[in-house]
Amino acid sequence: MSDKKERITIIIAGLVVGLLGALLVLAGNPANMGFCIACFIRDTAGALKLHSAGVVQYIRPEIIGLVLGAMIMSMVRKEFQPKGGSSPFTRFVLGFAVMVGALMFLGCPLRMVLRLAGGDLNALVALAGFVCGILGGVFFLNKGYSLGRSYKMKTLEGVAFPAVQVGLLILLVGFPTLLAFSAEGPGSLHAAVGIALGAGILAGVLAQISRLCMVGGIRDLILFKDTKLITGFVMIFAACLVGNLVLGKFNLGFAGQPVAHTAHIWNFLGMVLVGLGSVLLGGCPLRQLILAGEGNADSAVTVVGYAVGAACCHNFGLASSGNGPTANGQIAVVIGLVVCVVIGFMNSKKNA
Amino acid sequence: MTYIATFFSHFGAIKFKKLCEARGLSAVTMPVPRSLSSSCGICCRFDADGIDHLKPFPEELEKVVLLEAGGYRQLYHIDEQ
Repeated sequence: MSDKKERITIIIAGLVVGLLGALLVLAGNPANMGFCIACFIRDTAGALKLHSAGVVQYIRPEIIGLVLGAMIMSMVRKEFQPKGGSSPFTRFVLGFAVMVGALMFLGCPLRMVLRLAGGDLNALVALAGFVCGILGGVFFLNKGYSLGRSYKMKTLEGVAFPAVQVGLLILLVGFPTLLAFSAEGPGSLHAAVGIALGAGILAGVLAQISRLCMVGGIRDLILFKDTKLITGFVMIFAACLVGNLVLGKFNLGFAGQPVAHTAHIWNFLGMVLVGLGSVLLGGCPLRQLILAGEGNADSAVTVVGYAVGAACCHNFGLASSGNGPTANGQIAVVIGLVVCVVIGFMNSKKNA
Repeated sequence: MTYIATFFSHFGAIKFKKLCEARGLSAVTMPVPRSLSSSCGICCRFDADGIDHLKPFPEELEKVVLLEAGGYRQLYHIDEQ
């Protein structure tokens, strides 16, 4: 793939994902939440009764689609590679910490961009925090940070996570009475299963081809002045902004935004944690799903870390709501930042 | 001839770039080209006459390819040693 083709691919991927972000809201997803990896993993954890927050329980087919789309595309391109063994439990802990930060802000980096495209200025504060977190991560990269190399694994290790996603889809479609579904709140708002799954698969295919990553874009810009990956980030914003303007869903301001709060310091710090943790993991939550679909068992463990983190966030009152953050959540974000810094130093070259 | 080396860690690429420069070779670090890998780490592109004089490669180095017209030719991969 030439440099130009690489750039065109990422532009298309960004535009389609941004547009899907707007259209999925029209199809029934919560406002400014066409796609949110953190929220949707949290909802799925709720549907599996890993937490009991009644308003955020639903198996989100978008997540299933993202993983399966990435798996299919990586197999077509002969890039499906079962691998793992790069500090899996440290990745689990970092995944947990990233989810604590995301549920403080109420969104992953992808939803941050979609919220911004909906006019939610709280996401601008979060973006500043996200960039600071990435700068912190880059500091550790330059100090020699590494979680160690990964190794080739057996095929089963690579297909196990996508197979679990198929299992979740079977549960959702065939055995819904086993699951918990929200009767009200964001979890009760969702697009039809086929539409959500199709959107997820399409986004998964495009993200696999383009390596779309919210963290990687800013990292490459800082480190190499390379604008390719961040173009995807900008295109998501542009396409979703146009979509929202056309659909009359653009509402500029801080207050009264959907599934959001205005505690600036905590929106900022929550996304510092997401940015820092994601650089230490080597990619944002969307990217981890795509890598897991490509057979990366370390990313699969990271996603499980997100899910357990999300469940704990709701079981112990760490997650924010429209009313704002909780004291427990604030303590958890600070602990999460400390944990990330310790992991950063302990895995830097002088300490490795 | 121009080569690209990919690494398991960011720091591995930076160290290798310094090693190349210490040997008088022109080298830059950059994001791994999509055509080379679906993973998104960083790589080191360097100009040299052959790669044997740079061996033994550091353990962070995953593979080395030679840039050819229309593509890459893999010369070294850690899992194939």
